[in-house]
Amino acid sequence: MNSKKDLVKISDWLWELPKSFRKDMRVPSHIYATEKLLEKIEPEAITQVVNVATLPGIVDYSFAMPDIHTGYGFVIGGVAAMSAESGVISPGGVGYDIACSVRLLRSYLSAKEISPYIDALATEIQKEVPSGLGRGRQVKLSRTEIDKILEGGASYLVEQGYGTKEDIEYCEERGRMEGVDPTLVSDHAKQRGRDQVGTLGSGNHFMEIQVVDEIFDKEAAEAFGLLDGQIVLMIHCGSRGLGHQIATDYIKIMIRAMEKYDIKLPDRELTCAPFNSPEGQNYFAAMKAGANFSWANRHMITHYIRQAWQKILGEDARLELVYDVSHNTAKLEQGRVVHRKGATRAFPPGHPELPEKYREVGQPVLIPGSMGTASWVLVGQKEGEQAFFSSCHGAGRAMSRKEATRRVSGQKVINELKSKGILVKCFSSRGIAEEAPLAYKNVDEVVEVVKEAGLSKKVARLLPLAVIKGE
Amino acid sequence: MRNYEILEHKADLKIRVWGETKEELFLNAVLAMQSSLFAEKRKAKSAKRKMSASSPDVSALLVDFLSEVLYLIQTKKEIYSKVNFTKFSDTEVAVELAGQKVARFNQEIKAVTHHGLKVRQRKDGFWETTIIFDV
Repeated sequence: MNSKKDLVKISDWLWELPKSFRKDMRVPSHIYATEKLLEKIEPEAITQVVNVATLPGIVDYSFAMPDIHTGYGFVIGGVAAMSAESGVISPGGVGYDIACSVRLLRSYLSAKEISPYIDALATEIQKEVPSGLGRGRQVKLSRTEIDKILEGGASYLVEQGYGTKEDIEYCEERGRMEGVDPTLVSDHAKQRGRDQVGTLGSGNHFMEIQVVDEIFDKEAAEAFGLLDGQIVLMIHCGSRGLGHQIATDYIKIMIRAMEKYDIKLPDRELTCAPFNSPEGQNYFAAMKAGANFSWANRHMITHYIRQAWQKILGEDARLELVYDVSHNTAKLEQGRVVHRKGATRAFPPGHPELPEKYREVGQPVLIPGSMGTASWVLVGQKEGEQAFFSSCHGAGRAMSRKEATRRVSGQKVINELKSKGILVKCFSSRGIAEEAPLAYKNVDEVVEVVKEAGLSKKVARLLPLAVIKGE
Repeated sequence: MRNYEILEHKADLKIRVWGETKEELFLNAVLAMQSSLFAEKRKAKSAKRKMSASSPDVSALLVDFLSEVLYLIQTKKEIYSKVNFTKFSDTEVAVELAGQKVARFNQEIKAVTHHGLKVRQRKDGFWETTIIFDV
């Protein structure tokens, strides 16, 4: 089955796979890509986009962003909106790393000012924010505290004296989704989360000290407090073991419920339940708890980074939140359950859920590049309505981890980045090769597509100075 | 003797695993999963656990079994080289695990997925499946 030859070109940036392509499709698929990017997409990824189009209650299209690559069940870089009345919710459409997100902090320093301190800052930040795979935080929260975080998210931590009110204001959902019942989250999940608040995880999760390299939209950049040459800090991580366990638990529950709801799917990993069923509602509430944990995690990471920042640069050195936005969620938006798996919400100007300061320009869309390459700040657009106000989430893998490791050693990647003036602070070089720039698509090409397609507009390009992976 | 191989997958960990019996397939799968964590063991710190799982069919059981062991590995910071099945059927499994405490893992497995997973018998009588782990 060669799905690519069945693609109908809608524009230089958008391709349609018609409903007639496979009998079980309920809607057509829309794939955002240039011809060049399309060549890099594996046939299996397109099959996964088609599989999502078979889910009950799916509205309009099964979307793929230009950074799609093969996942399990849902494609990574996919968007699917289901009718809240007659459609389903699927844990696989959110992913195991519930509310995996990107957070951007701005400093008031220039690259020149910070340059003598980069090494010391990276070392101190690495020490303060563990990966969680080794010694970890050495703090184990009680079940009661975990429950409070599940209900209160980042807001609860502000009440406890960590961070500021502004940290909440500039967070998606203000760092807390309503409607959480902690009893719907298993003991296993809570147990996994107890020593993981304030840990980064591994794989493609990272912290980066970056410099604003170019401004593309002055008005939006000004609203976001971004200036040419300014130092910013990016954090990419999610809900750690707690989120992974919630997904595992509810996939198990839903697989057992599929017969009851007479749902037949091409892949078990797509398992789902009607949104308006006990299983669907319970998962939705548990997913929100996972999201709250994820915001709390980055809130604490921010706290520890600030400590490191001030230790090296003095007490006046500030890091303020630009925004924090997820790319792995299911949200109830205008009567639809919008699943974004490896896709970023991108609300347009005037959206009531945006912080007042950003309302006129639109929502910041934070796109992390691959290790050592540019990251982007984009902004949501009115035209984004075509894909339920969603955008891409990164460069997207172009090569398997295994192939990347075969082609390049971790140490070589570190040396190459060093020669470009980028410091890599990592505990072991294992895993570095897997994340080498050559294993990813070009993030600039991906961003160009979402810009041209009208999903979001370029605001600023950020270049890395130091990549930090947890100890 | 080799009883698993790591296959190409763009973003995650894909392992093909096999065994003479279903029980041996489960054993090889749990050992393969653990070898992918690149654990640094702590000397002379042994660990013993018991666990069980039940599921509607053997394919789901394999995922649920591995997920449950992964939970123990991550929360107890242990790794298990000895796996003794005290109960084994297509829908139910119980094991005794023995191993060691771990100082550090060098890869994290987020979860065991059901994607495309089907436990099947090969022409030579061996049982085989392919598992995708989210890493």
